[in-house]
Amino acid sequence: MSEDIGLARRQLLTGSIALSGLSLAGCTTGLARSGPGRTPSGPMLAPMRVSPNELVDVKCCIRPFRAQGCRLDAEQLGDTLVIHNYGHGGSGWSLSWGSAEIAVGKAMSVLPRDIAVVGCGIVGLTAAVVAQRAGLNVTIYAREMFSRTRSVRAFGAWTPSSRIALTEPAGPAFAALWEQMARISWRYFRACLGLPGQPVEFIDSYSLSDTPPRNREHAPATSSFAATGVPQSEGEFAEYDSLVRDIVPSSTNLAAGENPFGTAYARRRSQMHFNFTGYGHMLLSEFFAMGGKFQNRDFHSPADIAALPEKVVINCPGYAARDLWRDQTIIPVRGQTGWLIPQPEAHYGLGYGGVSLLSKSDGVMVMHTDSTLGDMEGVGNSMELPDRSNIEAGLAIVAPLFARMAGGRA
Amino acid sequence: MSRLVALVCLPPALALAVAAPGQRPAASTATGVYSEAQAAQGAMLYKDACAACHGETLAGTYEIPALTGRFLRNWSNGSVGTLFDYIGRAMPQMAPGSLTPEDNARIVAYLLKANGMPAGAQPLPADQGALDRIAFAPR
Ligand SMILES: Cc1cc2nc3c(=O)[nH]c(=O)nc-3n(C[C@H](O)[C@H](O)[C@H](O)COP(=O)(O)OP(=O)(O)OC[C@H]3O[C@@H](n4cnc5c(N)ncnc54)[C@H](O)[C@@H]3O)c2cc1C
Ligand code: HEC
Repeated sequence: MSEDIGLARRQLLTGSIALSGLSLAGCTTGLARSGPGRTPSGPMLAPMRVSPNELVDVKCCIRPFRAQGCRLDAEQLGDTLVIHNYGHGGSGWSLSWGSAEIAVGKAMSVLPRDIAVVGCGIVGLTAAVVAQRAGLNVTIYAREMFSRTRSVRAFGAWTPSSRIALTEPAGPAFAALWEQMARISWRYFRACLGLPGQPVEFIDSYSLSDTPPRNREHAPATSSFAATGVPQSEGEFAEYDSLVRDIVPSSTNLAAGENPFGTAYARRRSQMHFNFTGYGHMLLSEFFAMGGKFQNRDFHSPADIAALPEKVVINCPGYAARDLWRDQTIIPVRGQTGWLIPQPEAHYGLGYGGVSLLSKSDGVMVMHTDSTLGDMEGVGNSMELPDRSNIEAGLAIVAPLFARMAGGRA
Repeated sequence: MSRLVALVCLPPALALAVAAPGQRPAASTATGVYSEAQAAQGAMLYKDACAACHGETLAGTYEIPALTGRFLRNWSNGSVGTLFDYIGRAMPQMAPGSLTPEDNARIVAYLLKANGMPAGAQPLPADQGALDRIAFAPR
């Protein structure tokens, strides 16, 4: 599924959609009674300010997608054991802890005292901390420290099966591994709730639409990954969320009087997200407090890594593995996010018309995707320059929602 | 020691990426390994294919690496061939592998010049093997 939190496609599609009783007429009546922005039973929400003149950043990023799922195998390079930990697609944040546990477990099996971690994105930094908690001395080698990595250009919500694999090439063994990673990660994230700096939070996220939510039909596939080496249709992407349905909050349909936005249809769910600044601070503080070392390095080949003094290395270069390890199984999937100024008074997320908004401590994030493409959006595209006009167009789509809310309050 | 062991065990394509220990590169970028004309052509190519991301002045952005300053440190321990090889298969980022070896050599010549390494009489060869024998050694 895609990372958009609110109108996450498959959320609309799956789950019990019991909106049939909610007619447009009923909705209008409800609105007349309660007015947008307030609900008799639900929370009173402040409208978000979505003017483009408060757009302070647009960031572009490439997801490191692998049809087989993320790479976690070990490889012996001379006297160096390399444990790979890359290729997490649109799920690197969400799976970071589980993936780290598996990688560190493999590292521990050869009883090292000192290990190296290559990469200081969310995957590498988390692996480093997990290794320290297991009693190892850790040095991180990376060209960029956390705050300049691709990881802080993500959306940063719990989306563990977002473009993580294709069902067929990944097979049932990866589905099982995914479930293990997702469950472990969920536990670790829960243990970060309520910490200073709000590294991890739950907020209400609304999926809004003007037309009845319905199952989107995948266009019949004329080709496939097997035939071309590149995903060809949305239907090929793995969907594993149902495996952890027992722990992840599901959404509920809102009755007319409970919908703060005045759209005909609305669903709400509790969404977990990660505040990049606070989260990075938390992990780096722990890493250095535990005696971790950081070295700025730019590796050009596996031989450079085999030459490190540490003979056990967890390799987490993200998308750059394509060039560093010459791993052509990594397929670029381009995406971008816009950032509005922080708006703590409007503390929620929503999805509407292909636009996702998420109010975080470090800003309101905006994503605007083409809902006709779904998971295929950005596949094969490695043009990592942001396109501001796409974000501005997205803001124009959601602006009427908030204008209506403000009007309803007057 | 560990480097040697690693090299012995690596497939040849990977081992190529660093000059084998003991095998001294024949030349170094401190001695003038590209021509002015070649670097000028490289500057034009850079404008078209690279400047949109790495900037007209090679300064990069917060997200995209600069091709001066830290760049020198990043590439200094190897050969010019390592840089040529990387650019040839990884850049320009949206169309990796699209540069001809000749254009790639022109761009590398421009990068050497922009980073203060001297020009010489002969152009930089567009041959991986030959470039692997030229040490990347600023000043
Ligand atoms: C638009 C967008 C939205 C997303 N939204 C979400 C989301 O909501 N939830 C979610 O879970 N995931 C999301 N993702 C996916 C997530 O961002 C990635 O899976 C994750 O960032 C990958 O992290 P990483 O640590 O593997 O790689 P990176 O963050 O790229 O880190 C790689 C590290 O390796 C270093 N490195 C690389 N090459 C070298 C080298 N040659 N020498 C030395 N160091 C090197 C880098 O400097 C860096 O430190 C999103 C991605 C995108 C693009
Ligand atoms: C679409 C944007 C884009 C374009 C165009 C582009 N690059 Fe890059 N370049 C990048 C990014 C991003 C990186 C970092 C790569 C990574 O970490 O995966 C990079 C990395 C590099 C590096 C390595 C820097 C270092 O210190 O490690 C070199 C050298 C380079 N590019 C040269 C070029 C050249 C030469 C061109 C033109 C032929 C070019 N680039 C075109 C985005 C671009």
